[in-house]
Amino acid sequence: MTRTFDILSKVGDEQAFRQEIRDWLAAAMPRNWRVEWQGLENETLKPKMIAWLEERRKVGLATPHWPKEWGGPGLPFGYQIIVYEELTRADAPELHMYMVSLFHTPATLFEHGSAAQKERYLSGITQGTDIWCQGFSEPGAGSDLAALRTSARREGDHYVVNGQKIWSSGAINAQYCLLLARTEQNVKSKHEGISYFIMDMQAPGVEVRPIRSITGEQEFCEIFMDDVKIPVENLIGEEGNGWNIAQSTLSAERGLLIFGGTERLARSFERDRVDGKDSWMRDPQLRREYAAFHAELQVIRLLIRKLLKELEASPDKASSNLSTFIKLSWGPFLQRYTEFLVRAEGLEAHKWKAPIPATAHTSRIKFSDFLKSFAWTIAGGSNEIMRNIIAERYLGLPR
Amino acid sequence: MPDSIDLDLLDESFAEMLGAEWRRERSVAYAQSGNLIAEDLWSQMAGLGWTALTVPEQYGGLGLGIDAASRLHAALGAVSAPVPMLGTTMAAALIAHAGSDSQRAAWLPALADGSMRVGFAQPSGAKLNFEDTSVNGIAADVLDAPSATHFVLSGRREGKSSWIVLAADSPGVTVEVHPLNDTSRTLGSVTLSQVALAEDAVILSADDRRVTDLLEHWGCIALASDSLGIGEAVLDLTIEYLKVREQFGKVIGSFQALKHRVADHKTALVGARELLSHVALLDPGDHAGLIDALSAKAHITRVAAEVARDCIQLHGGVGFTAEFQPHVFLKRAKLNEALYLTRNEALDRVADLLEAA
Repeated sequence: MTRTFDILSKVGDEQAFRQEIRDWLAAAMPRNWRVEWQGLENETLKPKMIAWLEERRKVGLATPHWPKEWGGPGLPFGYQIIVYEELTRADAPELHMYMVSLFHTPATLFEHGSAAQKERYLSGITQGTDIWCQGFSEPGAGSDLAALRTSARREGDHYVVNGQKIWSSGAINAQYCLLLARTEQNVKSKHEGISYFIMDMQAPGVEVRPIRSITGEQEFCEIFMDDVKIPVENLIGEEGNGWNIAQSTLSAERGLLIFGGTERLARSFERDRVDGKDSWMRDPQLRREYAAFHAELQVIRLLIRKLLKELEASPDKASSNLSTFIKLSWGPFLQRYTEFLVRAEGLEAHKWKAPIPATAHTSRIKFSDFLKSFAWTIAGGSNEIMRNIIAERYLGLPR
Repeated sequence: MPDSIDLDLLDESFAEMLGAEWRRERSVAYAQSGNLIAEDLWSQMAGLGWTALTVPEQYGGLGLGIDAASRLHAALGAVSAPVPMLGTTMAAALIAHAGSDSQRAAWLPALADGSMRVGFAQPSGAKLNFEDTSVNGIAADVLDAPSATHFVLSGRREGKSSWIVLAADSPGVTVEVHPLNDTSRTLGSVTLSQVALAEDAVILSADDRRVTDLLEHWGCIALASDSLGIGEAVLDLTIEYLKVREQFGKVIGSFQALKHRVADHKTALVGARELLSHVALLDPGDHAGLIDALSAKAHITRVAAEVARDCIQLHGGVGFTAEFQPHVFLKRAKLNEALYLTRNEALDRVADLLEAA
């Protein structure tokens, strides 16, 4: 017997709202997914991701943190927290294939997209049909992103794009790409002359090759573009303003995206203690090391809550200094904590097990979680880039 | 009255007065002075009502809570002020929450006007025996004992935690001064030899566990606040220095090796401030609140001590001289790490409480 769930109508009554989510999760969440999904990726994982997003869409929770203006449910802050708390409590799979779709694309389009672009592309995400990827980095433009060389040449009603992108998570599954390309070669500063496009990944001339990462998974890809035609209406903002727009995209990555991850980790942190109670929690020094992580985890959760409150107050302001501090707190913390667990678990942690997707660093396969932590210390602006931003832009130290 | 006080404005007034009265040069000079307390600064603070901050209104105080005290302690840490405010904060909390009416009337007004200066026993120290009409023993390592007019010492009576309030000049009381590396505070061991124990000197609470938790909560927050003030101040002055000091024909603040360390310190302090503001608003009787307060003490005192340590290194040679201020902050930050509970003691408590949750 299936009943229908009406979660959003319960806004105003936190208790009822929470209960409705619990009931829905009990009925709709994929069964035994941590076991069933272990070792899956790309083609084998994609249908499961799509099905899970569809369940969430049916109850209006495909994009729980989106304001109404982004086509989301426009939940008050306290209710967003409840949604994430309950998803975490039930250990629901994370929609990691939709990361760019759920965070980067709206942050970019809402601030800089045209009305037509928002209408068309944001609804594609809430409908669950579109997976997005990001085409920023290049082999010669990593931390020095503005050194990118992919070119876009205007020819009538379209641009012709040539070049190569790298580290594009999930590009192999994607319909669309948030693409940075150079529209002007002769510029005084390399930050000028960059434009921001929506690229259809099915367009002729686009080729995607997966890269195997240190965890053994194929999440990253290279994208090769050979005379790819992008219609002019797919330019986001003005030509040459791509660098500024990219800051909004990156800001989303550095702040909001971390929210779900920290709540999951907070839950996992509790379980780690219970799991270790007859082994490493009996070692006084490991026990103290563990206890010290509590403060750091609280710090990050508090910073994120502050950021969410800022965003609630002004939904069009995706960029905030806070997101840089959050990213530079979270990545290194995650790495040290997951490394600690590997050490605490001893030899057991070194026995290979297939990674479990959609667990956001809480697969509880300690070595795999540790290896994945580098995604947070390198991607989306490495720790070193975050430090440059803080030192130069916020503290005013000279270049 | 408490409702009408804007804590941000309070912050500004703390910073304004201390910035004017306790400049860097004074702080550095004081460190060599051998004084036990900056008497003039203490009088000014008392005159402005800072010593009355958390004393209930009916006893001449402002009746504010630990969140206001947290702001004051952060401001005092930021200039490394040589005043025994921690004793006032702790004694006011104890007497207001667990004292009898006559005890409150006897001591709270004197705490509020600054005439009573308290050496408050280390919460983790050995407990004295308060069963008889006189008390013997040693309260070791009492912060600010050398400049105190009174001591608050902890012991046991009728199987419960209890406290006594003793005038420093009571017959049978002697103080052995332990000179500290941190000259902005003082430490002394208080020896009691046949000291008469008046009945109204003993603070005995029906719920001694609650009082102990409250004191632990307040103590952790006050020390964490002091350390946050230290960390932010020493980093600020270091950044200033990095912007003007030149080597190799360049301002040294342009070197990435230094910038990155400064950025890490800033990030740690931004987080520490957020943790502290959160903790200062929690209910001290709350289990989760105590976990966070203990965590904040262990975490923030560590962060500040590390920032202060590296700030000496970032200064280079002048950081090693007594003329520059970083050493004043480092010594104070290191003492905060050890006061009340060491890091290991705090983390053991956090682990115990987490496991009991």
